[in-house]
Amino acid sequence: MQQVVFGIVAALIVFAAVRLVTTRNLVHGALYLLAVLAGAAILFLLFLAEFVAWVQVLVYIGAVVVLLLFGLMLTRAPIGNMALDSQTRPLAAVVSLAIFGITSTIVWKTFKGQTVHFSKPNTVDTLGRAIFSQYVLPFEIVSVVLLAALVGAVVLARKEE
Amino acid sequence: MPVAWVLILSSFLFSVGIYGVLARRNAVLVLMSIELMLNAANINFVVFNLLLHSISYIGQVFALFIITIAAAELGVGLAIVILIFRNRSTVSIDEVSLMKW
Amino acid sequence: MQIDYAAVAPELVLTGALCIVLVVDLVLPDNRKGLIMPVSLLGVAGTLLALLALAGDPTRTTLGGMFVVDSFAVTLKILFCVAALLTLAMSYDYLRKEGIHQGEFYFLLLCSLLGMLTIASSRDLLPIFVSLELVSVPAFVLAGLQKIDVKSNEAALKFFLFSILSTAVMLFGMSLIYGITGTTNLAEIAVRLAATPVLRSIAVLSVFFVVVGFGFKISAFPFQWWVPDTYEGSPVPVAAFLSVASKTAGFVGLLQIMFIAFHGLADVWRPFIAAVAILTMTFGNLVALTQRHIVRLLAYSSIGQAGYILLPLAVVNVNGGSVNHEAFAASIAYLLIYAFMEMGAFSVAVAYGREGGYFIDDYAGLGYRAPGLAVVMTVFLFSLAGIPPLAGWAAKLFIFRAVIDGHEYWLAVAMAVNTVIALFYYAKVVRRMFFEPAGDGPLGVKVPLLLQATIAVSTVMVLLVGILPDLAAHLARMSTLV
Repeated sequence: MQQVVFGIVAALIVFAAVRLVTTRNLVHGALYLLAVLAGAAILFLLFLAEFVAWVQVLVYIGAVVVLLLFGLMLTRAPIGNMALDSQTRPLAAVVSLAIFGITSTIVWKTFKGQTVHFSKPNTVDTLGRAIFSQYVLPFEIVSVVLLAALVGAVVLARKEE
Repeated sequence: MPVAWVLILSSFLFSVGIYGVLARRNAVLVLMSIELMLNAANINFVVFNLLLHSISYIGQVFALFIITIAAAELGVGLAIVILIFRNRSTVSIDEVSLMKW
Repeated sequence: MQIDYAAVAPELVLTGALCIVLVVDLVLPDNRKGLIMPVSLLGVAGTLLALLALAGDPTRTTLGGMFVVDSFAVTLKILFCVAALLTLAMSYDYLRKEGIHQGEFYFLLLCSLLGMLTIASSRDLLPIFVSLELVSVPAFVLAGLQKIDVKSNEAALKFFLFSILSTAVMLFGMSLIYGITGTTNLAEIAVRLAATPVLRSIAVLSVFFVVVGFGFKISAFPFQWWVPDTYEGSPVPVAAFLSVASKTAGFVGLLQIMFIAFHGLADVWRPFIAAVAILTMTFGNLVALTQRHIVRLLAYSSIGQAGYILLPLAVVNVNGGSVNHEAFAASIAYLLIYAFMEMGAFSVAVAYGREGGYFIDDYAGLGYRAPGLAVVMTVFLFSLAGIPPLAGWAAKLFIFRAVIDGHEYWLAVAMAVNTVIALFYYAKVVRRMFFEPAGDGPLGVKVPLLLQATIAVSTVMVLLVGILPDLAAHLARMSTLV
């Protein structure tokens, strides 16, 4: 069962990711990104990371993609077909294929025999406790990052009088 | 389920992201490609958390922090893109190259 | 959970200060914004005092073992605070003349500084990643604060794209490390890598991704492309801050990871680091020869310097021992000394740039028009070049000795050759200043008081450490993690 779901979602992610980097339309690109992110969210659910999955939906899909679409509209990016690729496409293809080849061979060799068991239920409760006890330092740091990003985004995007 | 399948998927996502970064010249598209790479790392963290049965849930916690930071960075990034557009009316990386060497 | 408040006191003071800066910025009318600068200065000074109170204490660990305060952390935090103080002093008049928002500038600078403080205390991949982002996110905005200047916009965009790309690569590597070791704690990673027979290839791959990620942050070859453009486009004090504090933060993260978590794999990554270090210094120094803009010259020079700082990593020994200790100490000593000479050179560029311009041609005959400025610039440039008896010479000597102790003689030769190449472009500027007729530049440059203070502090440090190099050497030896 899990393997079937994984297979379908993986196919979706692969298709959407490839289309994202080849499409000639910016808005389509944002929608393909949305598909990849939604696929990842399903994978998180499958791997018993419920909370991460819903954060992915809320923050990534809800905020990030909407922000990107806003960005595209505010910059009045030409919607429709246009040349979006640079001259280095063949080189890029070679580099990324090489990285994929090396990385996938090595992870295949390393984790060949290991399988995941869908056993232990993970509750938000335990995750929350972990974040607010052991990982409280990174949590506090992230809060300052968000504050700085907020102030920074406002000061940059604001129109000067 | 073999964990290697998931890892090969994430490696693929990572490599596609690299392709997008190298081949695209629109700043927003480059940004989206980088999001693909971040998601590859997230998938790894979550599946390893399950594989290793981490009691501390560090894999999931790491993924949560990556999502949060990515959102914060994107906010700043789009502010920069909008600023550039306002001054130059383009967000193409090729055209945004006043300075070389 | 018990929290050791004394250990986190500097961070708490700084967090309080940045909140106050934000509020003060809100209530002050536009013509009084200058008052924010003393507030920020007090905040950083308070942080520095809290740090000095911690100096010499035994190691403290708190916040679930995530936050470690030892001599390494304290020394580097003091360095970061001093760099921030110098940047604040350098910025005040610059910001007012350029019409840059002061409140936001100081707030973001303090945020970035907070990230630097926490990275020095992090011994786990998660806080290292999060702190690095706290260092970088405000820095993107700082680079773009000259909003109407297209070059500043581009500086911010390039910095932003390269930085998040490097973060993504680094995170992918970190996820693989977590996968093979099951932990993110640096010390435990080392234990498990030694205990469990993992495939070499996957360990190498993940270390490679992490090093590439840090390579962008410390501007190592071939990931240095953003550096000259970003430094040139940013407000000049921001460029100084990036080249000193931000780069040091990257090195702090890298040194911790390499020396604590991965030293067992040193056999594998040593040649790779050696190649990167040599290429970085050679590239930086060769391209610097062709530069005509003083900030770009300093940018390429700082790339070259990054190569020197990386060099001791190339002699790290799998079995630990004194070679590792000396290598670590040499890198730290170089970072300590580098901060002052780079800050000094940038502050002279700020002092002269406003009236005289930022091209090297503009410096022609400065020795006759503003002898004081020309002399201190010469001191900083010769120190960067490594001419005795200035501090830079001592710094290079430490690196040289560490490399020789590690029996990597060819690295020492490469470094010596690079030092000679570098001498050419530093001397070129000095020759312009003293041996060419004065151009039509301004006669007698008025340097604001705060900027004078920055230059004075840097000069004193460069001369002092040059005469008494053991000061830096001793501090560095105390502050290693191996």
